[in-house]
Amino acid sequence: MPSSTIAGVHAVPVDVEVDVASGLPSFAIVGLGDTAVLEARDRVRSALRACGFDFPNAHVTVNLAPAPVRKHGTGFDLPIALGILAATGQVPAAVCCAVAVGELGLDGGVRPVAGLLAHAMAARSRDLPLLVSADALSEVSAVSGVSPRPVTSLGTLRHGLPAEGRLGPVEHAAPPTGADFAEVHGQGVAKRALEIAAAGGLGLLMIGPPGTGKTMLARRFPGILPPLTESEILETAAVHSVAGLDIEGILRGVRPFRTPHHTATTAGLVGGGTPPRPGEASLAHNGVLFLDELPEFSPAALQALRQPLEDGHLTLVRAEGRVRYPARFALVAAMNPCPCGFLGDPGRACTCPAAAIERYRTRIGGPLIDRIDITLRVDRVAPSSLLRVPVEESSRCVRERVIAARERCAGRGLPASLSGTSLLAACALGEGERKAVEAAARRHRLSGRGVTRLLRVGRAIADLADSDRVQTDHVLEASCYRVMV
Amino acid sequence: MNGRFTLRPEEVGYPEQLLSVPRPPKVLNGMGDPALLVRGLAVIGSRKASPYGLECAARFAGLAAQWGVTIISGAAMGCDLAAHSAALAAGAPTVAVLGCGADVDYPRRAAAVLAEVRSGRGAVVSELDWGAPPLPGQFPARNRIIAGLSAAVLVVEAALPSGTFSTADHALDAGRDVFAVPGSVFYAGSAGCNRLIRQGAQPITCDEDLRDSLAGVGLLTRAATEACGGHAEPGSDPVLEALRATPMSPDAIAHALMLDLPSVLRRLAALEQSGEAALYPDGRYGPCARH
Repeated sequence: MPSSTIAGVHAVPVDVEVDVASGLPSFAIVGLGDTAVLEARDRVRSALRACGFDFPNAHVTVNLAPAPVRKHGTGFDLPIALGILAATGQVPAAVCCAVAVGELGLDGGVRPVAGLLAHAMAARSRDLPLLVSADALSEVSAVSGVSPRPVTSLGTLRHGLPAEGRLGPVEHAAPPTGADFAEVHGQGVAKRALEIAAAGGLGLLMIGPPGTGKTMLARRFPGILPPLTESEILETAAVHSVAGLDIEGILRGVRPFRTPHHTATTAGLVGGGTPPRPGEASLAHNGVLFLDELPEFSPAALQALRQPLEDGHLTLVRAEGRVRYPARFALVAAMNPCPCGFLGDPGRACTCPAAAIERYRTRIGGPLIDRIDITLRVDRVAPSSLLRVPVEESSRCVRERVIAARERCAGRGLPASLSGTSLLAACALGEGERKAVEAAARRHRLSGRGVTRLLRVGRAIADLADSDRVQTDHVLEASCYRVMV
Repeated sequence: MNGRFTLRPEEVGYPEQLLSVPRPPKVLNGMGDPALLVRGLAVIGSRKASPYGLECAARFAGLAAQWGVTIISGAAMGCDLAAHSAALAAGAPTVAVLGCGADVDYPRRAAAVLAEVRSGRGAVVSELDWGAPPLPGQFPARNRIIAGLSAAVLVVEAALPSGTFSTADHALDAGRDVFAVPGSVFYAGSAGCNRLIRQGAQPITCDEDLRDSLAGVGLLTRAATEACGGHAEPGSDPVLEALRATPMSPDAIAHALMLDLPSVLRRLAALEQSGEAALYPDGRYGPCARH
C-alpha cells in the first residue's frame, strides 16, 4: 500500500506492508513511527468496526518501509487500514494501486493532514493516483498531472477506488485589496524606496519614531509586488501546506506577508522542532518577511537569518537528519531610532543616553545590516497633509512600474541577486558614473559591500527609469537610501 | 606612565583662573603637560549634535586653535570630541576635563583622542581620584572646571535644558564671557544657544565675530589676519537656498519647490557629496558649513 511521509517540504515515498498471520491476536506497527503513527492502531481498529468491516482476529504486523526513515503524523491511518482490509480481502486489491494519505476518525471518516500538496507531488512522480480526503480536494487540485481520488469515509472504498475528482483551476486574484498605497499620505521617500526595493528584490529597513507609519507602509509592500508565477505558487504553497496553514490565498497568487513577533525564537524564525517544521522565514518564501522592532529580536534569531538571505534556502541539521526549506524572501524591517523611540522627532525630546542609542543600534549586527540594501528614515506626516483629500498613487500604478522593471531585469539574463562581476556588467558604468560611485563611496565611507549595495540600488532605479545603463543620476539617488549603520 | 601630575590650590602651577569658580577643586589630577593649563577658549556643545553643530564645533575650534588659542572641552561624544579633534588637527594644545578619573577612557569613543592629548599634545585633568568610574552626578561638577579654566565659553549647539546649558551658567557664575552660535528657530537642539544669545551672549555668526570676541577677552593679542569668507555666497540652487533657511525633509522640499521627488533626492545627494548639505539624524537635510 503506497503512502508517503514529509521530510522538509517534500514527501518521500513510504510503502505500508501488512502481514496478517495466524497466532496470538496482536497489532504492531514497526518502522520508526512517532507516537502519532503508533496511535493509528486504536483509530484504525475503531474506524474499521464503525464502517462494518471486521478487524482480523490474528497476528497483524504493519511495516513502514523503508524502515530506517523516521515517520511522523497521522497520514498513515488510511493506508494502514486499507492494507489490512486488502490483506483480509474486504476491499478489492485495486485500492492498493493508489497513494493513500489521510487521518481516520473513529467513525471511519477520512480527514486531511498537513502537507497534502507535497504528498500529491510525490504521487505524481510515482505516477499513481492519490487517495485523499474530499475536504482537501482544492489543495491537491493545485498540482497538475496528479489524479486525486476523493474519499469521505472508509466505508465508501468497499467497492474499489472512487472516480477521479478534481476542482478547476483557481482564479488568479487581482492584487490584494484593502491595503493600498493611495491611503498613505505623504511619505514620498518611503514609497519611492519601497518601489525600488520591489523592483530590485532588495532588503529594506525603515527607521522612525513610533506611530509614523512604518508598519502601515510595510503592509502595503506585497500589494506592489508582481503576482506569484505558477512555479512560485507551488513552491510557496508546499511550505504552507507542510506547516498546516491555509493555502487558499497563495493559490490565488497572493504573495505571503509574514510578521513574526519580536519574541520569536530561532526555531520559530528559521524552522526546527520535532518533527521539523518550517519557520517564518520559509513561510515567507517568495513573499515578504516583515520584522517590526528589529533590535528587539534575539540576536541569535537574527543571525540565523543570514544563511537564507545569502542562499535563498535553509538547511537544518538535526540528530535525525537534515532538512532543507526554501526561504527566498524580501526582508522588510522597521525599528525606532533609539530605545525611547523619539530621537530626532521634532515633537518630543529623546531621553536616551548616547551610549544606549549606540548599544541599541549595534544589536542588529553588521552581517545582517550588510544584507539590507536600503535604509531610510520615516517621519511623522504633518496633520495638515493628513486631512487633505488624497491624491496619492494607487498600488496598482506602482505595481505596473515594478512589473515592467522586473521584466527589464529578467531580459538582461543575469541572475536576479547580483554581485561581483555580474553586477558590474549589469550596471555598465561609464567614466562619469564611475566617478560618481567613487565620490559617494568616499563621502559615506562605504565598505566593499556598501559599494555593492549602492550599485544594486542604482541598478533597480535604472530599471524603473527604463535605462540600460546605470547613470550618474541613479547613483546619486541610490546614495540617499543609507541613513545609518 | 606619560606624565601624571597632581596640583593643589596652594601649589605653584595650579591654574590661577580656576580659583574664581565657586568651590575650586581641592586637587587637580592630570596627565600630559601641566604647563598647558593656560587660559583658553572652552568649546562645548550637545552630545547628540546635528551635523550643523558638529561642523560649527570643528570649524570654530579649529580656527581658534590656528590662532594659537588653547581649546578646552569635556571629551564627550559629539561637539566636545569634534572640538578636541579640530584643535589637534590644527596642531594647537587642547585640554580635556573629565567627569571620571583622568586616566579613564570615557566615553570609549574618545579613547584615541584622549591618548593623543595625554601624550603631551595637551592635558587631561579631573578633580576625581585616579581610576574613578564615570558616575552621573560628576559631570555637572566637571562643567564648572571647564568654565573655570577658560577665558570664554563658546557654545556651539545646546538644547534646553541640557548639560551644555549648565556649563554656560557656570561660566556666568565665574564671570566668564559666553559666546553662542545661533541655530535654527525651528530646531529644538538649538534652543539653548538661541536663548543664550537673547540673554546677552555674544553671537558668533562668522569667523570675524569669533576673532573679535576672542580679542575682546584678551585671548588674541593681535588681530588674526586670516578670514575665511564667513557666509556662503547666495547661490542659484533653490534646493540649497531652501535648506539654508531651514532643514527640511526631501518630501517637504519636493512639495515646497514643486519638484519631483527623485530629482530632489539626486540634488540632495550631490549637495551632500560636495559637503554643502548633510543628513540630520531626524531624516531632514540641512545646511553644512563649507570648509
